Amino acid sequence: MQDSVVLLKMDDFLNWGRKNSLWPMTFGLACCAIEMMATGAAKYDLERFGCGAFMATPRRADFMIVAGTVTLKMAPRIKTLYEQMAEPKYVLSMGSCANKGGPYWQHGYHVLKGVDEVIPVDVYVPGCPPRPEALIEGVMTLQKKVANERLLRDKWVKNA
Amino acid sequence: MHKEIADYLNSVVSGAEAKALEAEVGDSSVLVASEHILKVCQALKDSDEHQYNVLQTISGVDYPEGVGEDKTPVIEVNYMIASFTKNTEIILKVRVPRGDDENLPKVDSVCSVWTAADWQERECYDLVGVEFVNHPDHRRILNPYDWKGHPLRKDYKAQEVYQGMTVYPEDKQNIPEQDFIVEQNKLNDEAKAAAKKAREEAKKDN
Repeated sequence: MQDSVVLLKMDDFLNWGRKNSLWPMTFGLACCAIEMMATGAAKYDLERFGCGAFMATPRRADFMIVAGTVTLKMAPRIKTLYEQMAEPKYVLSMGSCANKGGPYWQHGYHVLKGVDEVIPVDVYVPGCPPRPEALIEGVMTLQKKVANERLLRDKWVKNA
Repeated sequence: MHKEIADYLNSVVSGAEAKALEAEVGDSSVLVASEHILKVCQALKDSDEHQYNVLQTISGVDYPEGVGEDKTPVIEVNYMIASFTKNTEIILKVRVPRGDDENLPKVDSVCSVWTAADWQERECYDLVGVEFVNHPDHRRILNPYDWKGHPLRKDYKAQEVYQGMTVYPEDKQNIPEQDFIVEQNKLNDEAKAAAKKAREEAKKDN
Protein backbone atom coordinates (compact mmCIF):
# COMPACT_ATOMS: atom_id res chain seq x y z
CA MET A 1 0.00 0.00 0.00
CA GLN A 2 2.82 2.39 0.88
CA ASP A 3 4.42 2.13 -2.54
CA SER A 4 1.26 2.14 -4.57
CA VAL A 5 0.42 4.82 -7.05
CA VAL A 6 -3.05 6.14 -7.61
CA LEU A 7 -3.82 7.76 -10.92
CA LEU A 8 -6.80 10.06 -11.13
CA LYS A 9 -7.86 13.37 -12.56
CA MET A 10 -6.79 16.42 -10.58
CA ASP A 11 -10.38 17.66 -10.55
CA ASP A 12 -11.63 14.37 -9.11
CA PHE A 13 -8.94 14.44 -6.47
CA LEU A 14 -9.82 17.96 -5.39
CA ASN A 15 -13.53 17.26 -5.50
CA TRP A 16 -13.09 14.16 -3.34
CA GLY A 17 -11.42 16.31 -0.73
CA ARG A 18 -13.86 19.18 -1.04
CA LYS A 19 -17.02 17.14 -0.89
CA ASN A 20 -15.94 15.30 2.21
CA SER A 21 -15.06 18.42 4.13
CA LEU A 22 -17.91 20.79 3.36
CA TRP A 23 -17.93 23.17 6.28
CA PRO A 24 -21.20 24.97 6.91
CA MET A 25 -21.50 28.37 8.46
CA THR A 26 -22.95 28.76 11.96
CA PHE A 27 -26.01 30.62 10.92
CA GLY A 28 -29.63 30.05 11.89
CA LEU A 29 -32.64 32.31 11.52
CA ALA A 30 -35.67 30.55 12.98
CA CYS A 31 -37.08 27.17 13.97
CA CYS A 32 -35.26 25.42 11.10
CA ALA A 33 -32.07 26.24 12.97
CA ILE A 34 -33.24 23.98 15.80
CA GLU A 35 -33.48 21.08 13.35
CA MET A 36 -30.10 22.07 11.95
CA MET A 37 -28.61 21.90 15.45
CA ALA A 38 -30.23 18.50 15.96
CA THR A 39 -28.67 17.39 12.68
CA GLY A 40 -25.28 18.53 13.86
CA ALA A 41 -25.64 16.89 17.29
CA ALA A 42 -24.91 13.30 18.29
CA LYS A 43 -28.10 11.56 17.16
CA TYR A 44 -27.98 12.51 13.49
CA ASP A 45 -24.29 13.41 13.47
CA LEU A 46 -23.65 15.49 10.37
CA GLU A 47 -19.94 14.88 10.98
CA ARG A 48 -20.35 11.46 9.31
CA PHE A 49 -20.49 13.36 6.03
CA GLY A 50 -17.66 15.73 6.90
CA CYS A 51 -20.11 18.59 7.38
CA GLY A 52 -20.16 18.88 11.14
CA ALA A 53 -17.59 21.62 11.55
CA PHE A 54 -19.86 24.65 11.86
CA MET A 55 -17.58 27.62 11.25
CA ALA A 56 -18.17 30.76 13.23
CA THR A 57 -17.03 32.98 10.38
CA PRO A 58 -18.07 33.15 6.73
CA ARG A 59 -14.39 33.33 5.68
CA ARG A 60 -13.75 29.72 6.65
CA ALA A 61 -17.08 28.29 5.57
CA ASP A 62 -17.72 26.40 2.33
CA PHE A 63 -21.46 26.64 2.34
CA MET A 64 -24.25 28.40 4.09
CA ILE A 65 -27.42 26.74 5.37
CA VAL A 66 -30.12 29.40 5.25
CA ALA A 67 -32.22 27.90 8.03
CA GLY A 68 -35.34 29.92 8.64
CA THR A 69 -37.45 32.91 7.68
CA VAL A 70 -35.54 35.57 5.79
CA THR A 71 -37.00 38.93 6.72
CA LEU A 72 -36.44 42.01 4.61
CA LYS A 73 -34.36 43.39 7.45
CA MET A 74 -32.12 40.32 7.45
CA ALA A 75 -31.81 39.92 3.67
CA PRO A 76 -29.07 42.55 3.10
CA ARG A 77 -27.09 41.02 5.99
CA ILE A 78 -27.37 37.55 4.46
CA LYS A 79 -26.11 38.98 1.20
CA THR A 80 -23.14 40.51 3.00
CA LEU A 81 -22.36 37.20 4.70
CA TYR A 82 -22.57 35.40 1.37
CA GLU A 83 -20.20 37.90 -0.22
CA GLN A 84 -17.74 37.40 2.64
CA MET A 85 -17.47 33.67 1.98
CA ALA A 86 -14.53 32.45 -0.06
CA GLU A 87 -15.07 30.83 -3.46
CA PRO A 88 -16.14 28.16 -4.23
CA LYS A 89 -19.21 28.72 -2.12
CA TYR A 90 -22.62 27.10 -1.97
CA VAL A 91 -25.97 27.90 -0.47
CA LEU A 92 -28.46 25.39 0.90
CA SER A 93 -31.93 26.82 1.43
CA MET A 94 -33.59 24.96 4.27
CA GLY A 95 -37.33 24.96 4.87
CA SER A 96 -40.34 26.55 3.23
CA CYS A 97 -39.60 30.09 4.41
CA ALA A 98 -36.14 30.25 2.89
CA ASN A 99 -37.40 28.49 -0.24
CA LYS A 100 -40.38 30.68 -1.05
CA GLY A 101 -41.57 32.66 1.93
CA GLY A 102 -43.40 29.70 3.48
CA PRO A 103 -46.52 30.61 5.42
CA TYR A 104 -45.74 34.29 4.87
CA TRP A 105 -46.02 34.13 1.10
CA GLN A 106 -49.25 36.13 0.90
CA HIS A 107 -49.54 38.39 3.94
CA GLY A 108 -45.95 38.57 5.17
CA TYR A 109 -45.21 42.22 4.54
CA HIS A 110 -41.78 41.87 6.15
CA VAL A 111 -40.66 38.54 4.68
CA LEU A 112 -38.50 38.04 1.62
CA LYS A 113 -40.23 35.56 -0.68
CA GLY A 114 -37.37 33.10 -0.89
CA VAL A 115 -33.69 33.66 -0.23
CA ASP A 116 -32.99 33.14 -3.95
CA GLU A 117 -34.21 36.70 -4.45
CA VAL A 118 -30.88 37.94 -3.07
CA ILE A 119 -28.34 35.09 -3.36
CA PRO A 120 -28.02 32.08 -5.71
CA VAL A 121 -29.20 28.81 -4.15
CA ASP A 122 -27.77 25.38 -4.97
CA VAL A 123 -30.02 23.03 -3.03
CA TYR A 124 -33.54 23.51 -1.75
CA VAL A 125 -34.74 21.37 1.17
CA PRO A 126 -38.53 21.44 1.53
CA GLY A 127 -40.32 21.01 4.84
CA CYS A 128 -41.61 23.14 7.68
CA PRO A 129 -39.19 22.56 9.28
CA PRO A 130 -37.46 19.70 7.42
CA ARG A 131 -36.51 16.72 9.52
CA PRO A 132 -32.80 16.15 10.09
CA GLU A 133 -32.90 13.30 7.57
CA ALA A 134 -34.14 15.74 4.93
CA LEU A 135 -31.33 18.16 5.71
CA ILE A 136 -28.83 15.31 5.48
CA GLU A 137 -30.22 14.39 2.09
CA GLY A 138 -29.87 18.02 1.04
CA VAL A 139 -26.25 18.01 2.13
CA MET A 140 -25.63 14.77 0.25
CA THR A 141 -27.20 16.29 -2.86
CA LEU A 142 -24.82 19.18 -2.50
CA GLN A 143 -21.94 16.72 -2.16
CA LYS A 144 -22.97 15.09 -5.43
CA LYS A 145 -23.04 18.49 -7.07
CA VAL A 146 -19.56 19.26 -5.74
CA ALA A 147 -18.26 15.87 -6.91
CA ASN A 148 -19.41 16.54 -10.46
CA GLU A 149 -17.85 19.98 -10.77
CA ARG A 150 -14.81 20.58 -12.97
CA LEU A 151 -13.26 23.69 -11.46
CA LEU A 152 -9.76 23.28 -12.90
CA ARG A 153 -10.93 22.30 -16.34
CA ASP A 154 -13.34 25.21 -16.48
CA LYS A 155 -10.63 27.59 -15.33
CA TRP A 156 -7.64 26.40 -17.41
CA VAL A 157 -8.95 24.62 -20.47
CA LYS A 158 -10.27 26.99 -23.07
CA ASN A 159 -13.63 26.19 -24.62
CA ALA A 160 -14.05 23.27 -22.30
CA MET B 1 -62.13 48.73 42.20
CA HIS B 2 -62.00 50.56 38.86
CA LYS B 3 -64.57 53.06 40.11
CA GLU B 4 -62.45 53.88 43.18
CA ILE B 5 -59.35 54.33 41.07
CA ALA B 6 -61.20 56.60 38.65
CA ASP B 7 -62.48 58.70 41.58
CA TYR B 8 -59.00 58.82 43.08
CA LEU B 9 -57.50 59.99 39.78
CA ASN B 10 -60.17 62.67 39.33
CA SER B 11 -59.47 63.98 42.82
CA VAL B 12 -55.67 64.04 42.39
CA VAL B 13 -55.20 65.07 38.75
CA SER B 14 -57.37 67.92 37.61
CA GLY B 15 -58.81 67.35 34.15
CA ALA B 16 -57.93 63.64 34.13
CA GLU B 17 -61.52 62.80 33.15
CA ALA B 18 -60.98 59.30 34.49
CA LYS B 19 -63.85 56.95 33.75
CA ALA B 20 -64.24 53.35 34.81
CA LEU B 21 -65.17 51.09 31.92
CA GLU B 22 -66.84 48.10 33.53
CA ALA B 23 -66.77 45.23 31.06
CA GLU B 24 -69.36 42.49 31.13
CA VAL B 25 -67.02 40.21 29.26
CA GLY B 26 -63.26 40.51 29.47
CA ASP B 27 -61.26 42.97 31.49
CA SER B 28 -62.52 46.21 32.98
CA SER B 29 -60.33 49.27 32.60
CA VAL B 30 -59.97 52.95 33.41
CA LEU B 31 -60.11 55.47 30.58
CA VAL B 32 -58.26 58.74 31.10
CA ALA B 33 -57.70 61.87 29.02
CA SER B 34 -54.64 61.37 26.83
CA GLU B 35 -53.01 64.71 27.67
CA HIS B 36 -52.81 63.81 31.37
CA ILE B 37 -51.46 60.26 31.13
CA LEU B 38 -48.06 61.18 32.57
CA LYS B 39 -49.57 62.83 35.65
CA VAL B 40 -52.02 59.97 36.08
CA CYS B 41 -49.27 57.35 35.95
CA GLN B 42 -47.12 59.33 38.36
CA ALA B 43 -50.05 59.68 40.75
CA LEU B 44 -50.82 55.95 40.63
CA LYS B 45 -47.20 55.09 41.29
CA ASP B 46 -46.71 57.61 44.10
CA SER B 47 -49.96 56.99 45.96
CA ASP B 48 -49.57 55.11 49.24
CA GLU B 49 -52.93 53.52 48.73
CA HIS B 50 -52.32 51.97 45.29
CA GLN B 51 -48.54 51.76 44.77
CA TYR B 52 -48.57 50.72 41.11
CA ASN B 53 -44.86 50.08 40.88
CA VAL B 54 -44.69 47.82 37.79
CA LEU B 55 -45.51 48.50 34.17
CA GLN B 56 -46.26 45.14 32.59
CA THR B 57 -46.94 46.13 29.02
CA ILE B 58 -48.09 48.89 26.71
CA SER B 59 -50.14 47.91 23.71
CA GLY B 60 -51.61 49.96 20.92
CA VAL B 61 -54.88 49.04 19.24
CA ASP B 62 -56.20 50.54 16.04
CA TYR B 63 -59.95 51.20 15.81
CA PRO B 64 -60.58 52.75 12.38
CA GLU B 65 -64.35 52.44 12.94
CA GLY B 66 -64.41 53.69 16.49
CA VAL B 67 -65.01 51.88 19.77
CA GLY B 68 -68.53 50.69 20.51
CA GLU B 69 -71.14 53.43 20.06
CA ASP B 70 -68.57 56.11 19.39
CA LYS B 71 -67.74 56.01 15.67
CA THR B 72 -64.74 58.38 15.65
CA PRO B 73 -61.64 56.51 14.46
CA VAL B 74 -59.16 56.24 17.32
CA ILE B 75 -56.00 54.55 18.38
CA GLU B 76 -56.15 53.20 21.88
CA VAL B 77 -53.03 52.87 24.00
CA ASN B 78 -53.40 50.40 26.86
CA TYR B 79 -51.12 50.48 29.88
CA MET B 80 -51.24 47.30 31.94
CA ILE B 81 -49.82 48.17 35.32
CA ALA B 82 -49.54 46.20 38.52
CA SER B 83 -48.70 46.66 42.13
CA PHE B 84 -46.48 43.93 43.51
CA THR B 85 -46.91 45.25 47.05
CA LYS B 86 -50.73 45.39 46.97
CA ASN B 87 -51.12 42.45 44.56
CA THR B 88 -53.41 44.33 42.17
CA GLU B 89 -53.50 44.86 38.44
CA ILE B 90 -55.25 47.46 36.33
CA ILE B 91 -55.58 48.50 32.70
CA LEU B 92 -55.30 52.20 31.89
CA LYS B 93 -56.52 53.38 28.51
CA VAL B 94 -56.10 56.53 26.51
CA ARG B 95 -57.69 57.23 23.14
CA VAL B 96 -56.15 59.51 20.53
CA PRO B 97 -57.26 60.41 16.99
CA ARG B 98 -55.58 58.24 14.33
CA GLY B 99 -53.87 60.99 12.37
CA ASP B 100 -51.75 60.03 9.35
CA ASP B 101 -48.12 59.34 8.50
CA GLU B 102 -47.06 62.99 8.57
CA ASN B 103 -49.12 63.79 11.61
CA LEU B 104 -48.93 60.91 14.06
CA PRO B 105 -51.00 60.99 17.24
CA LYS B 106 -49.02 62.18 20.25
CA VAL B 107 -49.03 60.79 23.78
CA ASP B 108 -46.68 61.75 26.62
CA SER B 109 -44.00 59.17 27.32
CA VAL B 110 -44.16 57.52 30.74
CA CYS B 111 -40.49 56.48 30.71
CA SER B 112 -39.83 58.87 33.58
CA VAL B 113 -42.31 56.90 35.72
CA TRP B 114 -41.43 53.34 34.77
CA THR B 115 -38.20 52.74 32.85
CA ALA B 116 -39.81 49.60 31.40
CA ALA B 117 -41.88 51.86 29.19
CA ASP B 118 -38.88 52.56 26.95
CA TRP B 119 -39.03 49.53 24.62
CA GLN B 120 -42.77 49.12 24.99
CA GLU B 121 -43.35 52.60 23.66
CA ARG B 122 -40.86 52.06 20.87
CA GLU B 123 -42.78 48.95 19.82
CA CYS B 124 -46.06 50.82 19.95
CA TYR B 125 -44.58 53.58 17.82
CA ASP B 126 -43.11 51.09 15.34
CA LEU B 127 -46.21 48.98 14.76
CA VAL B 128 -49.19 51.26 15.42
CA GLY B 129 -47.69 54.70 14.90
CA VAL B 130 -48.15 56.63 18.12
CA GLU B 131 -45.55 59.27 18.84
CA PHE B 132 -44.40 59.36 22.45
CA VAL B 133 -43.40 62.87 23.43
CA ASN B 134 -40.18 63.17 25.51
CA HIS B 135 -39.19 59.57 24.88
CA PRO B 136 -35.41 59.19 25.51
CA ASP B 137 -34.75 57.01 22.44
CA HIS B 138 -37.57 57.40 19.98
CA ARG B 139 -36.73 54.91 17.21
CA ARG B 140 -38.32 51.91 15.58
CA ILE B 141 -37.55 48.68 17.40
CA LEU B 142 -38.63 45.74 15.21
CA ASN B 143 -38.75 47.06 11.67
CA PRO B 144 -35.70 48.57 9.98
CA TYR B 145 -35.19 52.29 10.61
CA ASP B 146 -35.94 53.19 6.99
CA TRP B 147 -39.26 51.31 6.99
CA LYS B 148 -42.34 53.09 5.71
CA GLY B 149 -45.64 52.93 7.54
CA HIS B 150 -46.87 51.22 10.68
CA PRO B 151 -47.79 47.59 9.95
CA LEU B 152 -50.44 46.94 12.60
CA ARG B 153 -52.67 49.76 11.41
CA LYS B 154 -55.74 48.34 9.73
CA ASP B 155 -55.24 50.40 6.58
CA TYR B 156 -51.56 49.46 6.25
CA LYS B 157 -50.35 48.73 2.73
CA ALA B 158 -47.07 46.86 2.44
CA GLN B 159 -44.47 48.66 0.38
CA GLU B 160 -43.86 47.15 -3.04
CA VAL B 161 -40.09 47.46 -3.05
CA TYR B 162 -37.81 47.64 -0.04
CA GLN B 163 -34.11 48.40 -0.65
CA GLY B 164 -34.38 47.04 -4.18
CA MET B 165 -36.08 43.82 -3.07
CA THR B 166 -39.57 43.16 -4.40
CA VAL B 167 -41.83 42.32 -1.48
CA TYR B 168 -44.37 40.38 -3.56
CA PRO B 169 -42.64 39.08 -6.71
CA GLU B 170 -45.25 38.28 -9.32
CA ASP B 171 -43.77 34.93 -10.28
CA LYS B 172 -44.02 33.72 -6.70
CA GLN B 173 -47.70 34.44 -6.22
CA ASN B 174 -49.83 31.40 -6.96
CA ILE B 175 -53.19 33.11 -6.86
CA PRO B 176 -54.53 31.50 -10.10
CA GLU B 177 -53.86 28.08 -8.58
CA GLN B 178 -55.80 29.13 -5.53
CA ASP B 179 -58.70 30.12 -7.79
CA PHE B 180 -58.47 26.63 -9.22
CA ILE B 181 -58.85 25.20 -5.72
CA VAL B 182 -61.90 27.40 -5.09
CA GLU B 183 -63.36 26.17 -8.38
CA GLN B 184 -62.63 22.58 -7.41
CA ASN B 185 -64.27 23.02 -4.03
CA LYS B 186 -67.37 24.43 -5.70
CA LEU B 187 -67.57 21.42 -8.04
CA ASN B 188 -67.06 19.07 -5.10
CA ASP B 189 -69.83 20.78 -3.14
CA GLU B 190 -72.20 20.52 -6.10
CA ALA B 191 -71.39 16.83 -6.52
CA LYS B 192 -71.95 16.24 -2.80
CA ALA B 193 -75.30 18.07 -2.90
CA ALA B 194 -76.42 16.04 -5.90
CA ALA B 195 -75.43 12.79 -4.19
CA LYS B 196 -77.30 13.81 -1.05
CA LYS B 197 -80.40 14.63 -3.07
CA ALA B 198 -80.22 11.27 -4.86
CA ARG B 199 -79.89 9.49 -1.49
CA GLU B 200 -82.89 11.30 -0.08
CA GLU B 201 -84.98 10.49 -3.13
CA ALA B 202 -83.96 6.84 -2.91
CA LYS B 203 -85.04 6.88 0.75
CA LYS B 204 -88.41 8.36 -0.19
CA ASP B 205 -88.98 5.68 -2.81
CA ASN B 206 -88.34 3.00 -0.22
